[in-house]
Amino acid sequence: MTELKPGQGGRSRIPLRISHRLWGYYWERLQKNRLSLVGLGFIGFLVLTGIFGPLLVQDPQKTDFNILNLPPLGFSIQESIYDIKTNEITTTMIEGRPEHPLGTDSKGRDMLAMLVSGARISLLVGLLATGIAIFLGTFLGVLSAFLGGWVDNALMRFTDIMMTFPFFLLLVLIVFIFGPSLAIIVLVIGLTGWTGAARLIRSEALSLRTRDFITASKALGASDTRVIFNHLIPNVSSLIIVMASLSIPGVIMAEASLSFIGLGDPMSTSWGTILNTGQHSLDSAWWVAVEPGIMLFLTVLSFNFFGDGLRDAFDPKASV
Amino acid sequence: MRSYIIKRLLYSVIIAWGILTITFILLRVGPTSPVDRYILNIAAKGQDVESVRQAIEARYGLDKPIIEQYLLYMGNLLQGKWGWSFSASQPVMELIGSHWIYSFQLILLATIFAIILGVGLGILSAVNQNTKIDYATSIFSFIGISIPGFWLGLMLILVFAVYLGVFKTFYDTSYPIWSLENLRQLIMPVLALGTGELAGYVRYTRSAMLDNLRKEFVTTARAKGLSERTVIGKHVLRNAVLPLVTIIMFDLGSIVFGGAYLTEIVFGIPGLGQVSFNAIFANDYAVVIAVTLIGTFMVLFINLATDLIYTYLDPRIRYD
Repeated sequence: MTELKPGQGGRSRIPLRISHRLWGYYWERLQKNRLSLVGLGFIGFLVLTGIFGPLLVQDPQKTDFNILNLPPLGFSIQESIYDIKTNEITTTMIEGRPEHPLGTDSKGRDMLAMLVSGARISLLVGLLATGIAIFLGTFLGVLSAFLGGWVDNALMRFTDIMMTFPFFLLLVLIVFIFGPSLAIIVLVIGLTGWTGAARLIRSEALSLRTRDFITASKALGASDTRVIFNHLIPNVSSLIIVMASLSIPGVIMAEASLSFIGLGDPMSTSWGTILNTGQHSLDSAWWVAVEPGIMLFLTVLSFNFFGDGLRDAFDPKASV
Repeated sequence: MRSYIIKRLLYSVIIAWGILTITFILLRVGPTSPVDRYILNIAAKGQDVESVRQAIEARYGLDKPIIEQYLLYMGNLLQGKWGWSFSASQPVMELIGSHWIYSFQLILLATIFAIILGVGLGILSAVNQNTKIDYATSIFSFIGISIPGFWLGLMLILVFAVYLGVFKTFYDTSYPIWSLENLRQLIMPVLALGTGELAGYVRYTRSAMLDNLRKEFVTTARAKGLSERTVIGKHVLRNAVLPLVTIIMFDLGSIVFGGAYLTEIVFGIPGLGQVSFNAIFANDYAVVIAVTLIGTFMVLFINLATDLIYTYLDPRIRYD
């Protein structure tokens, strides 16, 4: 018999990490939910757009004052210009042009380029902030459950405070104070969004702690770290994945809301920033407010579909 | 029971104190000072900026160390003095007193709208499980959950105010609060704010109804020969409503400074969201702290009320 070093005893961590069969089983269950596949498809499209899109379109911040408020291709608007010399109002039809298929905004910026840039920002913020929040939540939840005593008490009381804080007000306050930059927005959403995850993981860890397989592993002399990393984390990993996928839409929405009220990163174009511009030109250029909203809506919808499908696929009690 | 309530109230005060402290520190360590706005006006008049700054800081106690300022603020607060609003040039409580009603009315109407329609659609969906009605309702609720409320607001303005001209594009504050004209112009804000909540309630009601429809007491009720109407209305619904109370209350706490905040900004409703928004941008820290505290107390009060209502609705639950 070959000697196994600690951490190599592969059989002890079947759930998710190494079991291809289990992954296959979950994938099969997920596939039964059509809507979640549609969601996954759109997310894939967004990821590709976010990575490669900016290479294919023009600079989203480039302004061109000759082509203000150009409608999308296939649409046209009437524009009335008052000529001060002849004292006449001339009405011209402005039609969409193929070089700006989704139109331009009130500064002549290309809508397509801005939407592509927005996809990148939304995904970046959504994934990074959720990553920070879920990591912190898992870490603090497990810590709280395992250490117990005053650490647990202090952490959970702090969680209570954070959960009671008017969340959006806190976001606006911190972003305003420290200045609107992408890094601040990601950090703030990540550092304030871990509370739900921490509570859930803590309660899950508390119940897992008393299970026989953990007791057995402890009886065999496993250290706390080993129990946590080889038994506990793998067993809550499905919960972590579902939580992450269901909290991404909230994060994307939070970023869009911040940019919408004027607290977006001025150096980058996000859907919220475009909506902020569009809000002021509703009567002259409807598409500026419509297009980013549709993208935002479809993105959030896709993550909700996908997260819902994942939750059902991971839940042994749910019939899919 | 009484000792439980007292304990909870004490705990609420501690949480509120924690939030107050965090907000205070955030506001006072920020790079900007509430004096900046004054300075801006004075600089235009050509006075000596530095001496004016010192005079103002001394007058409002802003030149003292932050600990002293904090203790001073706390002391005033305990005497019921909420401070002075720099940006509105009136006492904080006067400012809040003249604006809270707008937020309250909006949230109240949106919640009533969401509960009535949401629970209704949820029941309809559950009773017609796996029919076209059920599928249509599910799709509708998915859309409702995913649509950003502030964007829905923009789209409503675009269609009904800009293009169809059914409503005004701005919120008219000249009407008395509960007059018919005012209620009429609140239709769009209520739709924008309520749709997300409504969609959530549809889903919860549906799943809670389905859970209870499978229970044995429903079979018993049917076996007794009760009409389907009585079975659904009296036996299933009453049990399904229970968890819904928690969700509605929780929502109420979170929309106060989430959705309502943005809805007020989109429609220009001069509620507390608008007030706190302006206060943050003007560094008006007394207003920001006051609004944050009010929001916090509302959430804490709602939580406590939920738990107490629960013991009334479900006598099996007791707190000791």
